[in-house]
Amino acid sequence: MDTKKMILGVYDNPDKIYAATKKLINSGYSIEDVYSPFAIHGIDRLMGIKRSRLSVAAFLFAMTGLSLAVIFQVYVSKIDWPMIIGGKPNLHIPTYIPITFELSILFTAFGMVASFFIVNRMFWGKNADIIDPRVTDDLFVVAVNIKENKTDVQALNQILIENGAIEVRERIKED
Amino acid sequence: MSYESPIRDQLVTGGKTYRDVTRDITRPLENPPSKGWWIGFSLSTLVLAIWIAATTYTVIVGLGAWGLNKTVGWAFDITNFVFWVGIGHAGTLISAVLLLFRQKWRMSINRSAEAMTIFAVICAASFILSHMGRPWVAYWPIPLPNALGTLWVNFNSPLVWDVFAISTYFSVSLVFWYIGLIPDIATVRDRATTKARKFWYGLFAMGWNGSTRTWHRYEVISLILAGISTPLVLSVHSIVSMDFATSLVPGWHTTIFPPYFVAGAIFSGFGMVLTLLVIAREVMNYKDYITEAHLDAMAKIVMVTGTMVGMAYITEFFVAAYSGVEYEQYAFLNRAFGPYWWSYWTMMSCNLIAPQVFWSAKARKNPKVLFVMSIIVNIGMWFERFVIIVTSLHRDFLPSSWAMYTPTVTEVSILIGSFGLFFFLYFLFSKFLPSINMAEVKSIIPTHHDDHGHADHHHAHATAEKGAVHGH
Repeated sequence: MDTKKMILGVYDNPDKIYAATKKLINSGYSIEDVYSPFAIHGIDRLMGIKRSRLSVAAFLFAMTGLSLAVIFQVYVSKIDWPMIIGGKPNLHIPTYIPITFELSILFTAFGMVASFFIVNRMFWGKNADIIDPRVTDDLFVVAVNIKENKTDVQALNQILIENGAIEVRERIKED
Repeated sequence: MSYESPIRDQLVTGGKTYRDVTRDITRPLENPPSKGWWIGFSLSTLVLAIWIAATTYTVIVGLGAWGLNKTVGWAFDITNFVFWVGIGHAGTLISAVLLLFRQKWRMSINRSAEAMTIFAVICAASFILSHMGRPWVAYWPIPLPNALGTLWVNFNSPLVWDVFAISTYFSVSLVFWYIGLIPDIATVRDRATTKARKFWYGLFAMGWNGSTRTWHRYEVISLILAGISTPLVLSVHSIVSMDFATSLVPGWHTTIFPPYFVAGAIFSGFGMVLTLLVIAREVMNYKDYITEAHLDAMAKIVMVTGTMVGMAYITEFFVAAYSGVEYEQYAFLNRAFGPYWWSYWTMMSCNLIAPQVFWSAKARKNPKVLFVMSIIVNIGMWFERFVIIVTSLHRDFLPSSWAMYTPTVTEVSILIGSFGLFFFLYFLFSKFLPSINMAEVKSIIPTHHDDHGHADHHHAHATAEKGAVHGH
């Protein structure tokens, strides 16, 4: 079992953790993650997180819903059991629009949210790997990866504290 | 973490810190309920019992338990359905449309508005089921292979569209609501002092740990969910209106129906949001989160949408007159001056005239005025649906089949009882889930209220970040 050693810098203000993260990245440290009670805008870019492809997934799910809805309605009303209702044509595209629209939305929402859970490895009853129970309340934590005898921990602590960390500690994470 | 213009009023007052937000909003969850909660909950449970009794009676006896006749085949049932579905529009509108428009005041009201949406749609669905008379065959509008050599549903029928629209709306709203709840459920989990709370909130928090990677994806899907929910909201009530508009009944067969119904839905939805929030901010002491500025903003929406529906009422009259179709003209004259004139004028005065009081800024900020107005709006919008449905049907093409409709005790009980169902669910929600989105509210609290020395630095940083896509 591999173990990962990290230094945690705990902050009470999103601006401070933003500044600290920026400084750490510029100094070449490897950031494991930043934990916060709400999304800090811009810090994801700072950490080099690429824009999530969930929007592409959403589009594909929308197209799936759309195609299935069209195929099904055409199959039912034109191929499987054509009926004359009020003298209207069997293949009447405009009346398929509402259901096609609704099903596209339904597929997008459920498909995208399911993908979101999968990429985050989230599921009901998952035992959360909580870095600090206060990150869902009022604290912000930056976790910096360190390598034994390679990372200058002293300088790292210096940066964390200079940028206003209220607490700095070590954490060993088992992978 | 966002830039606040110094000329704008703060959205959260009282100099709250992140910790205060967590504490204030989790308080009802972590403490035994107040006396007020017990009184409200017991009362709504009693009313819910009326609903259960009356609905059960209807299912056993059949639709003969209602006052319907061969001319008026839709009355209280569909009136109540459209009424509740309309109320169910404000939640998603607040969270989705206002998110797209970057209206940050939505953040302290969206959670309870979304909850309200879900409960209102449950009430609406209950009327769909009971009006079928034989609710055990309620799956028939779903295109399933069946014993009749697969006789499919008619996809030209707006009633079938409605089945798809309402069920999509309900499930997507539920997903949207739940996604918004996850970070807050995690907050409750991490504060939990009892085993039960740790277990249940831990179960539904899905292992949320506040990681930036997760937050990044979370923001992406929130934006897309908002983007798809916006046209969804508009489509649902448009489709509800097509249940009427695609028929040939004078008074129903008009092209104005979709926008008119959507405006009415927003109007009634905000009416109900006001009813709930004016009470909630008093009882749960959320005045720093749901401020006068919030009430003011909602009152403005009520006024605008009320005036829009009023405009639609007048337009309908004009179009009827201008069309030269005597049946259409008669339908409208009958609405205003026929035997149901009182319902028409109740609707007019509650929906068009009464909201004009909100031209006054004082009225918009007075919780008492707002509460009374919200009840008036609810009454007015119920009567709007009654007017549209009953007065259009009761005098149809052949005077020999004209009839009057009077509701039975069972129907009135179901209507009253549905409020019990709604409030029963709402009380449970306010006890077990955070009624304000803590994560979002924390994100709009100024970050520099404790150290003014850094204010300049903060502003410089925020401006530099402005180029970033906000919901990204």
